[in-house]
Amino acid sequence: MAKPEKPKIGIFSLTGCGGDQLMILNLEPVLLDLLSRFDIKDFQEGSSYKEDVELDIALVEGSVSTKTDLEKLKKIRERSKMLIAIGDCAIGGCVQAMRNGQMSMEERMKKVYGVSEDYYDVLEPKGLSSYVKVDLEIPGCPIEKDEILHAITSLLHGDMPEEIDYPVCVECKLNGYPCVLVEKGMPCLGPLVTAGCNARCPRLGLDCIGCRGPISDEANVAAELKVLLDKGYDEEYILNRLRFFGGNFEDIQNLTKKLSEKSEKKEGE
Amino acid sequence: MRRVIEVEELTRVEGHGRIEVVIEGTEVKDVKMAIFEGPRFFEAFIESVHYEKVPDIMRRICAICTASHSLASIRTIENAFDVKVTEQTRILRDLLIHGEMIESHALHVFMLALPDFLGFPDAIRMASKYPEEVKAALQLKHAGNMVHNVVSGREVHGMNERVGGFSKIPSEKELKDIRAAMVSTKQTAELAVDLFAKVEIPKYAESENTLMALDPGEKYGFIGDYVLVSDGTRHPVQDYPSLTNERTVKHSHAKFSSYKGSSYMVGALSRILLNRDKLEGTAAELYEEHKDILTSRNTLMNNLAQAIELVHSVDRCIEDIDILLSNGLKNEGLVEAEPRASRGIGAVEAPRGTLYHDYTFDENGCVVKANVITPTAQNAANMEKDYRVAAERLIKEPDEKLINVFEIIARAYDPCISCSVHLTRIQK
Repeated sequence: MAKPEKPKIGIFSLTGCGGDQLMILNLEPVLLDLLSRFDIKDFQEGSSYKEDVELDIALVEGSVSTKTDLEKLKKIRERSKMLIAIGDCAIGGCVQAMRNGQMSMEERMKKVYGVSEDYYDVLEPKGLSSYVKVDLEIPGCPIEKDEILHAITSLLHGDMPEEIDYPVCVECKLNGYPCVLVEKGMPCLGPLVTAGCNARCPRLGLDCIGCRGPISDEANVAAELKVLLDKGYDEEYILNRLRFFGGNFEDIQNLTKKLSEKSEKKEGE
Repeated sequence: MRRVIEVEELTRVEGHGRIEVVIEGTEVKDVKMAIFEGPRFFEAFIESVHYEKVPDIMRRICAICTASHSLASIRTIENAFDVKVTEQTRILRDLLIHGEMIESHALHVFMLALPDFLGFPDAIRMASKYPEEVKAALQLKHAGNMVHNVVSGREVHGMNERVGGFSKIPSEKELKDIRAAMVSTKQTAELAVDLFAKVEIPKYAESENTLMALDPGEKYGFIGDYVLVSDGTRHPVQDYPSLTNERTVKHSHAKFSSYKGSSYMVGALSRILLNRDKLEGTAAELYEEHKDILTSRNTLMNNLAQAIELVHSVDRCIEDIDILLSNGLKNEGLVEAEPRASRGIGAVEAPRGTLYHDYTFDENGCVVKANVITPTAQNAANMEKDYRVAAERLIKEPDEKLINVFEIIARAYDPCISCSVHLTRIQK
């Protein structure tokens, strides 16, 4: 009997820090075994070998931040049966999208490079699903090793991995960590943010900064805002916090708009 | 005849870069190191963010140098607010940056650079002929990541190192586990030196290099407040604008640097050559053994310098842990910062070279202005110089050969392109 063909895989990056591919490489004890289950056709950061063929799975990290990124993404989509966004950049732009809807690209170019917007081919950073169909999203800045390993092995067995739909607070409570929000008054974003990190920051006595992104359709941003206002944090501080990893999230953008309208009114008075 | 030789996309490097060399007849007309990773604008985002969370954002400039960015950021803030940290914090930070060096250098030396010299497209395929070496390299990389995990909280983008100290002090057991991993992988670090010393390192890029690295003080290391230059001068890190002279160029999203009008090099080779008298133990012995080939003229020797730093870093992690354990671990909490309107500048040696952060704060401790200068942006002009030198020497060679040569040169710098594309504010 002929051996079944190994799934053809490509690992790609658009604009980002490269941390999600690095987390795959950080699976050191199982890395060689894991990669040997696939036929790797494209992996720019790890290999000079490249073959322009149809892929069973494309793992893509990074945000679409330039027209070049967008063209590359469209080509990857065309050649891939399944496209998986790995990491926050590929889902919602991550910290790169922190000032979306708040600071124009023109202003960013002027501030950092001292030149006009058309000097480079920049786009406002967005996740992949703003442009193409995405089959699965694995959150995190960076992704969790266990989660990506679980996802990849599930796919090898023909199953779709489960997506997490509950907040960091659930894992924090299961571990019995003291609540840094209620007990210490720290500006923890745990109630809004997708679990899967096993409440890493509260374990270290730190408040969640939201690096796994807001839970889709579930996060109650207005309620979190109220809690933090009651704790004595001002609106600008809280919105900055919410924006670290939520710049492309609709509720957070709406809150920003309200706040800036309010401060304009104040100035007008 | 006009030839345009292009490396469309560099592989086995972090991020997205392209090389273009134009040859007309027997003359190299133009050389470009184009960095087309999207611009990332961190210096613009960070404005109005309260200092306490600034390192959490700024470390996300880069994954492979995450702790370097976070420590540079923290040191910058502490300089601005005059925060003095404890001895335990100082040693834990030293441990963290040495762990990062191991993780990053093990990845670069074995997985990214070595395949070039052993004739493979990647480490996965190299593992078919060198299975034990690749497995050992992964164990060494893992030992570096243990430091990230324990001291910083995660391999990439940790959170435990803070302004004023560490949120949670590692346990004795965690540190002993790291120590054991270091002891058992030290021979792999030595193997890296051995492998690079054995392969024929090409000389096509040989030319004068100006070197720059931080002065680590009495002992070899990666944290310091002064910059050493190979012209014999020494400067406080606050002088970085006149040392780096960054400028925007159309063909690259990374700015280009120069020192006294010429390109210069940062990274392991610069550090080893400028601080060689501070090396100790096995690393010092290995330097002595290979000093004849470790010349500042050959950029490709950066790989061998990294291998020697691997050995140094393994030994230093063991030493740091021994000191921490013999002093006894103390849950000492964070030293409070008192924010005020001020400016701070801080630097560390990232695995690929000197990294500067510079922030100005308002009276509430929120950022009003930020500037970051990364090693890869500083090296970009020197990379172009090397491509030119190699192209001139190998002008009769076919395009495929030159493409391969340019890639090997680029990789020797261990470029981190994600880092390089957020650049500095233009001084008006």
